[in-house]
Amino acid sequence: MTVRAVQQVIDGLASGSIYGALALALVLAHRATGVVNFAQGQMAVVSTFFAWSFVQAGLGVIPAVVLTVAASLLFGAAVERVAMRRFERESPMIAIVATVGLLLLLNGMSSLIWGYELKAFPPAFSSGTLRAGGAVVSITALGTFLVLVAVVLLLYALMMRTRLGLALRAVADNPDSSALSGLPVGHLLMVGWGLAAGLGAIAGCLVAPKLYLDPNMLAGVLVYALAAAVLGGFDSPLGAVVAAWIIGVSENLAATYIGFIGNDLRISVPLLLTVLVLLFRPQGLFGRREVVRV
Amino acid sequence: MRRHRRWFTGAVLAGGIIVLAVFPLNSTPYTNYQIALVATYAVAILGLNLVSGYAGQISLGQSAFFGLGGYCSAIATVKAGWPLPASFLLACALPAAVGLVVAIPAVRLRGHGLAIFTLALPLIGVALAKRYADLTGGSEGLGARISQAPAWTGLDRDQWTYYVVLAIAGALFLLARNMVTGRLGRALSTIRENEVVAVSMGISPQKYKALAFAMAATFGGAAGWLYVYTIGFISPVEMEFLLSINLLAMMVVGGMGSVLGSLLGGVLYVYIPIAVGTVDPVRTTLLYGAILVLVLFFAPGGIARALHRAGDWLGGARAGSGPGPQRPSAATTAEQGVSPMTKT
Repeated sequence: MTVRAVQQVIDGLASGSIYGALALALVLAHRATGVVNFAQGQMAVVSTFFAWSFVQAGLGVIPAVVLTVAASLLFGAAVERVAMRRFERESPMIAIVATVGLLLLLNGMSSLIWGYELKAFPPAFSSGTLRAGGAVVSITALGTFLVLVAVVLLLYALMMRTRLGLALRAVADNPDSSALSGLPVGHLLMVGWGLAAGLGAIAGCLVAPKLYLDPNMLAGVLVYALAAAVLGGFDSPLGAVVAAWIIGVSENLAATYIGFIGNDLRISVPLLLTVLVLLFRPQGLFGRREVVRV
Repeated sequence: MRRHRRWFTGAVLAGGIIVLAVFPLNSTPYTNYQIALVATYAVAILGLNLVSGYAGQISLGQSAFFGLGGYCSAIATVKAGWPLPASFLLACALPAAVGLVVAIPAVRLRGHGLAIFTLALPLIGVALAKRYADLTGGSEGLGARISQAPAWTGLDRDQWTYYVVLAIAGALFLLARNMVTGRLGRALSTIRENEVVAVSMGISPQKYKALAFAMAATFGGAAGWLYVYTIGFISPVEMEFLLSINLLAMMVVGGMGSVLGSLLGGVLYVYIPIAVGTVDPVRTTLLYGAILVLVLFFAPGGIARALHRAGDWLGGARAGSGPGPQRPSAATTAEQGVSPMTKT
């Protein structure tokens, strides 16, 4: 009983890590341009198709993923510059609708290019298991978790320890003052979106072996990632990751131990959790309380 | 000028009603069903427009209410043997109740909380529809041929369906138009432009946003009923997330914050796939997305707004001074630097 619960928690942390990677992407794009990017999942799917194509071309999984992350940095930057730049200064609603348009476009294009039959994606980790106490931990789960931890640490170092990170934070905080201080705001927005797309690529490649690759692969994951971003406060990268883990674990436990939820309704767990938290903390777990000034 | 315009609008409406009334008598059943579908999707888009175009909240869950309304009508009539009007009321009331329950916590979120919440609704709806297969027919769906022309009319089934669907859709459009030009519409546009001003005027943004969302759900449910009445069938596919975003796309293309735009959105939703001669959902998605992005780039107010401007230009008036249900979208308003509030 307890062993089973421990295992559920570990699996939950693993799927939470995938939600967390995409949630981090959402938070980064949101901090850069103030837009909730509903196409983030679809962009990640396109990245995963890149990786799949690299693997088909004969590359190993790890080099393919690394190459994909690099390509996704450019892809995200290009999307920001070409498609989104125009809408960022408009009302947030128009910007969101633009991301929905992007979602439809990318969905249609990837179906057209790669087709919509399910594709097997090679796993980055071996399928073995580790035994610790009574619990069996799959290497995939552990690897996924560690990848996210590494990503968070890297991102933290980038944001807090480099000049680029400082500039990115400045632009997120106040684009107008940053521009007046001589920062290349446009380029930094592209960097923000590029980083987000890179994170999305990691999430896509981590989850693709389990879900199989098709143009709609991340529609469900996006719901979890958005819930995690909201729960974490949408401006806090750490909050998004912690919230994603909370969601992953509680989803797994609910699906196992609450008969009514079962496997098919687990998607309702992040929603219920978010409702509960937001009723008491509208700004999210880690978000700053927003004060409206007249 | 204003009186002249009103007379013109009246004449166009009367002419349109006569054409629509005579039309099905000489057309094919295929076309009649198609036009009934246009009206059906136009009602769903109209509901979406109430919450998005007027209240300024993006909803990505309209297909959940569409499907819920559809299942209400099919289950109530086929499984429970309810009369049609009762099933219509159920198809409006249940989505409204669900919409309200979802909206009350969602509107507490700043920014676009509703969008994020509603994203999950179609996924939950599909899962529920598949789980309770006894009731819903599961993945195969549920057949419900509920439309039948009374003998005294001498009409065929397709003609009768056409009249019923268009009459209900017309009534709903009239209802929506009266709502958005009245007190509710003014309150919503104030909230959309500036929440602080709204609060200081005693308008509760949360209350009105929740109300708008419940109305949107009601219209979505009614559209689901119309869909089952026209097609005689409902399945989880009609609930899927893709329908929600396609409807959203066509709403923006037709014209956000415009009753006429919702109608145009319905026309486009049904006729774009037909016009390019493809029923391949992949191509359609690509096309909807491409058209949405193009419209956002070149005519952010949508086609209704562009038509309105063209009409003003032809009439020699300045843009934005005409009457009618059209409201400038938030974007065009910001562009002009004028909020509807300053005019009223």
